Formats: sequence, C-alpha cells, structure tokens
Amino acid sequence: MTTPTPPTTPDLAQRQAGVASLHQRVITVLTWGWRIGAGLLVLGLALTLVRGEQLPDQALLPNAILADLLAGRAAGVVDLAIILLIATPVVATAVVALGFWQRHEKRYTAITLLVLLVLILSVVVSLR
Amino acid sequence: MDITLGLELAAVSALAAILGSMLGLGGGVFLVPIFTLFFGIDPKIAVGASAVVVVTNSVVGSTVHLRNQFTNLRLAMLLQVTMAVGALAGALYGVTARPATVYVVFGLVLLYAAISMGIPRSNAVARVGPDPLDLGAQFDDSAAKSTTAYVPRKVPVGMGISVGAGVLSGMLGVGGGVVMVPVMNQLMGVPVKAAVGTSAFMVGITSVATASVFYANGKVDPAVVVPAVLGVFLGGQVGARLTKKLKAQRLSLLFAIVLLYLGVRMVLQGLGISVPWLGIA
Repeated sequence: MTTPTPPTTPDLAQRQAGVASLHQRVITVLTWGWRIGAGLLVLGLALTLVRGEQLPDQALLPNAILADLLAGRAAGVVDLAIILLIATPVVATAVVALGFWQRHEKRYTAITLLVLLVLILSVVVSLR
Repeated sequence: MDITLGLELAAVSALAAILGSMLGLGGGVFLVPIFTLFFGIDPKIAVGASAVVVVTNSVVGSTVHLRNQFTNLRLAMLLQVTMAVGALAGALYGVTARPATVYVVFGLVLLYAAISMGIPRSNAVARVGPDPLDLGAQFDDSAAKSTTAYVPRKVPVGMGISVGAGVLSGMLGVGGGVVMVPVMNQLMGVPVKAAVGTSAFMVGITSVATASVFYANGKVDPAVVVPAVLGVFLGGQVGARLTKKLKAQRLSLLFAIVLLYLGVRMVLQGLGISVPWLGIA
C-alpha cells in the first residue's frame, strides 16, 4: 500500500491557475445578479413611494408576481428583485458545476450537482 | 410602507452590517435580535428577512474573495453538500417552530459567538500534506508578501459539523459563518483568509434553502426585507472601510459584551423571564 504524496507547490499553482477563469465566471454571475436585483429593488421602492402604494406584508409567489408586473404594481417589481437575489447563488452553483465538468473534474462536478439538487429540492419542498 | 419605520430599519440594518463586517460575522447575527427585541417584529419574519440579507451579503462580498483567489470552490462545494441538507431541515423546522424556541436557540448562538471571540484565530503556517480529495489550494497573501499553500485536513469531521451549522443557519437565518470560519481555520487547518473567503461564498448558497422555505411560507415581508437589504449593503461598505482603519481586535471585548447582552436577552425573552433592568418586561 502506498502513502499518498503531498502536492508540490507547482501542482497547487497549476491547479489554482486552472480555476482562475471559473472564479471569473462566478464573479460575473454574482455581479450581474446583484446589479439587476438591486436595480429592481430600488426601482420598486421608488415606484412604491412615488405612487403611494403599500407593499404587501408577504412576498408573492411567482405566478402572482407576473400578474402584479403586468398590472404595473410596484410590489411585483420588489418581489421579482427579492427572487432574483435569492436565485443568484443558485445560478452561480450551476456555473461552478459547468466549470468543473469542462475541466473534466468528475468528482467535483457530481458534488456540485448534488448541492444544486438540494437547492432545487428546497424550492420544490417549500412550494408544496 | 411606513417611511419612518423603513428608514429606522435601514439605519439599524446598516449598523448591524458595520458591526458584523468588523467582526467578520456578517449582518445576520445582529439583525434578528435587533428586529425582534427593539422593533417587536415577529421572529420568523426577522429570520426570513435575515436569510435574504445573508444571500445578498454573500453575493456582494464573495466577489472580492474570489478575485483574490481566497475562495476554495472545491472545499466550498464539498462542505456545502451536508450544510445545504442541514439548512433545508433547519428551515423546515424553524418556519413551524414556536417563537420561544427561536429566541432561546438564537440566544445560545449569540452567547457562543461572544465566547468564540475570545479564541484567537490560527495564523499558523498551513501544512501541505497528502491531498487525496484534491482540495489543496494556494493564494498570494499581499499583506504577508508571500504565497500561502494549504491542504485542508479532517474533512469528514468538517462535513459532519457542517450539518449542524446548516441546521442553525436554516432555523435562524444566520449564514453559518460564525461556525464554519473557526471550523475551517482551527480544525481543518485552512488559513484564515481562505476560510473567510470560502465561508462567504458558502453562506449565500446555504441561505438560499432558508430563504426559499421562509419565502414560500409567507415569512418574507418586503416592507422589512427592502430596508434591511439596502441598509446592510450600505453598512457593509462602511464596515469594510472602517475595518481597514481600525484594529477590530481591540474592540473585540466591546463587541463580545454586545453579543453577550443580546444573547442573554434573547434567551430570557424565549424563557419568558422578566428582567426590567435588562429591558425585558
């Protein structure tokens, strides 16, 4: 039986360089998720104040949000912003899974897909 | 929405974020106690708001750690498997739990956070040992002007503790960084910058499970969430700048006392014990 040998510093440097582009893709997802979510949040808040509308004391479920958006109500914009912010890490996780798959890292592709599955499960379980 | 209340919530959220940022705990640890104890907001609404805030904080804060290569994505995903399962279980319990239970458990977490502030973080040189799971990584530490390499150890134990951190996170709407940073740093031998960076990314994913459950159960109130998110974002920016200028460690005793006070108040509130001089009628 052989003892696993520690990775050398060049090994780790090479590994780190390999994931740098993946880090960049995750940064892009997080940055745009925040920009769009925050932008909609501020827009919704501004509409609420300008029109003198009241925000409901519960965020709406997705089908009701669509109806609110089509009716031009501020609450729909605010709720859409909240959902976008919550969904951003889910999209980032999907991007990480894709990145590991492209790097042929089967173990971490499977692990990341498992995380994604738990997140999707949490949404499904909550909506039932 | 009551504009005055909205502004007050935004202001205290900003304060919570400044404190959280200086302590590396995130805003959630302070947000729920302040909302419940001083604004009389229902604990589950406060937890729902906190979960959304933690997600937002993670989305914004993780980019800096990713850019600096502090975040270990493989380690994050591996620990996240058990943490996310724990968070889902914790959230499903938390959304139906009695408010008194939420108060007591949250109070105990605050007391733990206060005590853990007295435990120094490990700055020991990371050991590079066998790496059967390919979890080793390295980053350039500009402050130390050197490259730090490490291989996390005791991974199964870390994954086990992640379940508990996830349950607490799901139940209380805190990110779980208060548990995971010390675990990664002191137990798994991950350098503190990598532990903080990896945790910052993880807590956002964990809190998605919490936020989803509380959202679907009508425990996300936009009138609380909107000022909290905006306040925490602004406070986080101020906190990050203040942290560079101030020696946060020197203020740790003061912060520990604040956490201790909030923790005791939450526990007493949960147990229904009246202590007028602590502000609990």
